[in-house]
Amino acid sequence: MTTPTRPSLDDPSLAIPVEHAGIFDPIPVARTERQREFYALKDGELLLNIGPQHPSTHGVLRMIVKINGEQVVDLDPVLGYLHRGVEKLCENADYHQVISQVDPLEYISSLFTEWGAVLSFEKLLDVEVPRRAEYIRVLSAELNRVASHMLYLGWMALDLGGITPILWSFAERDEITEILGALTGQKLLFNYFRIGGVNGDLNHEFMSRLGDWMSRVGAQLEAGMGLLNENEIFVRRARGIGVIDRETALRMCVSGPNLRASGVPFDIRRAHPYSVYPELDFDIPTRQEGDSLARYLLRMDEVKQSLRIIDQCLHRMPDGPVSAKLPRLLRPRPGRAFSAVEAPRGLYSTYVVSDGTDQPFRMRIHDPSFVHLQLVPLLMPGNLIPDTMVIVAGLDPIMGGVDK
Amino acid sequence: MTAVTGYWNRLSVPSKVLLVAIPTLVVLGAVATVALAILVPPLVDFLAANEDLVRFLLAATIIIVITIPTAFVIIYLELKVIARMNLRVGPDRVGPWGTAQSLAHGFKFLSKEDFTPRGVDVPIFTLAPVAVFLATIMGLLVIPFAPGLVAQDLNIALLYFFAMGGLSVVGLMMAGWASFNKYSLIGALRAAAQAISYEIPLTLSVVGVVILAGTMSLNTIVEQQAGSFLDWNVWKQPLGLLIFFIAATAEANRTPLDMTEADQEIVAGFATEYSGMRYGFFFFAEYVNVFVISALTVVLFFGGWNAPFDWPFPVQVTLDPASLGIGLLFLVAVVPVLGTILLALPFWLLSSRISTLQALAIGFVLFNLLAVGALLGWAFISFDWVVGLLWMMLKSYVFVFVFVQMRATFPRVRVDQLMGFAWKWLLPAALLNIFVTAIAVSLVANG
Amino acid sequence: MDRAFKALLERTLGTSLEGPVRQRQDQTEIRIRPGDVPQVMRTLHDEPDLRFEYLADLAGVDTGTTFQVVYHLWSEVTPDWLRIIADGIPREEPRVPSLTFLWKGAEWMEREAYDMFGLVFEGNRDLRRIYLPDDFGSFPLRKDFHLADDAAKSPGGGVRPMERATAPADADATTLRRTSPGT
Repeated sequence: MTTPTRPSLDDPSLAIPVEHAGIFDPIPVARTERQREFYALKDGELLLNIGPQHPSTHGVLRMIVKINGEQVVDLDPVLGYLHRGVEKLCENADYHQVISQVDPLEYISSLFTEWGAVLSFEKLLDVEVPRRAEYIRVLSAELNRVASHMLYLGWMALDLGGITPILWSFAERDEITEILGALTGQKLLFNYFRIGGVNGDLNHEFMSRLGDWMSRVGAQLEAGMGLLNENEIFVRRARGIGVIDRETALRMCVSGPNLRASGVPFDIRRAHPYSVYPELDFDIPTRQEGDSLARYLLRMDEVKQSLRIIDQCLHRMPDGPVSAKLPRLLRPRPGRAFSAVEAPRGLYSTYVVSDGTDQPFRMRIHDPSFVHLQLVPLLMPGNLIPDTMVIVAGLDPIMGGVDK
Repeated sequence: MTAVTGYWNRLSVPSKVLLVAIPTLVVLGAVATVALAILVPPLVDFLAANEDLVRFLLAATIIIVITIPTAFVIIYLELKVIARMNLRVGPDRVGPWGTAQSLAHGFKFLSKEDFTPRGVDVPIFTLAPVAVFLATIMGLLVIPFAPGLVAQDLNIALLYFFAMGGLSVVGLMMAGWASFNKYSLIGALRAAAQAISYEIPLTLSVVGVVILAGTMSLNTIVEQQAGSFLDWNVWKQPLGLLIFFIAATAEANRTPLDMTEADQEIVAGFATEYSGMRYGFFFFAEYVNVFVISALTVVLFFGGWNAPFDWPFPVQVTLDPASLGIGLLFLVAVVPVLGTILLALPFWLLSSRISTLQALAIGFVLFNLLAVGALLGWAFISFDWVVGLLWMMLKSYVFVFVFVQMRATFPRVRVDQLMGFAWKWLLPAALLNIFVTAIAVSLVANG
Repeated sequence: MDRAFKALLERTLGTSLEGPVRQRQDQTEIRIRPGDVPQVMRTLHDEPDLRFEYLADLAGVDTGTTFQVVYHLWSEVTPDWLRIIADGIPREEPRVPSLTFLWKGAEWMEREAYDMFGLVFEGNRDLRRIYLPDDFGSFPLRKDFHLADDAAKSPGGGVRPMERATAPADADATTLRRTSPGT
């Protein structure tokens, strides 16, 4: 192969064509049936680009909205601005390195992404995880769930114009990240779970911070949620917006709190239990309305259940090792394994294919936010532009997971 | 010639400056004296003849000059108060406790690149911020700040005020349309729809006050609320106050009714394509608007510059500085020095860490504060308008605080809910208010 | 591992199954031909004693020789995850029937499989790239993907070392050797 020459900035082929240098953005070539339907503009319709850089698209999400006045007629999300090729990168990493590769997928709740990967590998390798490690996993993961839902609360309010709840909920989140930082050494991308256990045992700083926080969290949460739960403006903007009924939810492969807000009590922790969840006592909150308000209230209920789980873990923590003994070079038998965990956003699953070498042959990651974004074009028509934010924020997507 | 250049090159820079400046100043001084001697007498005669015009020009200039510091104060207030409500500290780096933050904002706007995007309608694009800012200032011209301190005492002041509010809508639409940007267009249309919807309840809600006062002149309305706080219009027109406050929030584009500039949805709405001082105009106009409607609320419903209760001034301090004669000179020379030393003494004596110079500095500052306080107190006691101004400002800023608190607390109302609220709730309520007021007034008049 | 479930599957699906029903830990796996996908899925979804109403994942896999599409379903009747592997999709003509007639939520998952592998799902109304730009030439997750393919066309092409063609001269798609540059 010849070495390609270094291109120069004066290369005419790199210049923007004259007709596109103007002030009108061209409508792309419509290749599929759905695109043809979308780009057929009727009289009075306008294409508005809520672009990847925008104060409230939850990360780099681009939505092309077809509006008629203030009413949205159709919506086309464009993804890929945060695509990092994680699945391909995992094929070049060995099984231990994959854990830090999958961390930045759902960066807000990265312990769950690690858990999904680690669970599949443990199934491939037939590794048994010590009980203490399982309890620590559940404890830290539920803390991460609370932190994630706090972010959700703040972000949802911010997208609606309320600037105070995000700061109050971030005060909570700051404390939780400090707690997890004392345990894992990191505040966002924890890199804490290992195949066969966790990276380090509980320490004194973690326990003291956690105990201190647990004693205060009840009152603080009530104050924070009290800002929004009974706020007339917030309730009227979220109630009845983006209603998903049971059949639509199942047909669209919705999972997690979005599914439970539509009346389907499906939680992987109870439906297909993993780790020590069968031994713990907690409820699965479910709501029937299926609108954005129900999704919001359901997540707040889940926070309370997570606090219950944390409490039980602390009381029932057994002694023992925190990691199983595994060789440094892991070569599982050729085979396939699938595992799913209940991430704060829904069902997070990994499917691993092993070919006997020390690197996965195929590492497939299924992220719930990716599937949930398909709901937006379904729910938006007929609503107004401000409702775009309510619906997108209510579904709680994280673009790192969506774009992989 | 070379001798001159040689001499010139051998001079130092300050000498060069002086050598050029002194003759120039002398010549200019002579020319200025002659010009003034010729021009000033007829000018003074002209001004004396048109005293009203002078007074108006002076008042308008003061108003225009005062708006910037007012905006600064309100911006700072908003940043700090919202920060505290958000469990944060707010700006505290620039200046003592962050007070110079607004100045920094002002410099930032001035120093930004002033560009016009391609495709905009340049004359309209340029004039839109001016229109919006002008509308706000013109509203300030009729607000009575103190007895005798009103820029123009129109007898249709209230009507004029609402007319000027309509001008700001024109400015927003100009901004949105001329920006050649879909977001701006949507923002402008929302702004126009919102402003028009809320103007009707706004004007109707004060009709009750007008009926009670019998006049649209704001000065008269305030004068009629003299007495104690029980004479204020708020007790006679509570519904009117409520409707007025909500409609005014919408007119000023403040949360929760700030669809126009919902930056979570349409970036900055009509102001998306504006940057630098052009955006600064919109920015400052909004905060001055907040002050204006707070002031109007106070004027209409809360007694304007009237104190809540009459307190008798037992002290009538009549100072006649001229009677002291030469003693005045001694006073002016001796009192500051004595005061500084006296106030510095405790600090110097009681703490060994404070040097003499530091103690004197502290003493000086304290003396100044005391002197200003005494002067203000004397002015408060002796001049009516100082009292009035103080009460007016105090009450206005209470309402500014309410606006700021609303911004910290509430999310935004959706655009169709906003309009529905205006047309379906506020308008009938305002009509009901007028109806009841009219009936009550006629009953009281007849019976 | 649900033995009764294995028997149930063999009874219901019978001839559609290619090879035995494999079970390991909490997963049950069946293999079918790609053409049978709609009918098998319909059976699994509608049968009253199967009721697989929940689609958890739709993945593409490149075994080096052929493509596979792997579906994971869940039902209340069994505690196992059901894995369906539609095996033997040829490389030069990778066409599979789409699942969007049953689960609309599979639309984007199929778009992703198309984007990454080039698998064409017949019946998907919106089969276009989802992560990569529309004019991207190759399919990254294939085993014979070379980064230099598209990088050469980009303005920075060939400048950074990883983008220079490092594929060995005898690379071919039939081996399982990972051919990504840089290793």
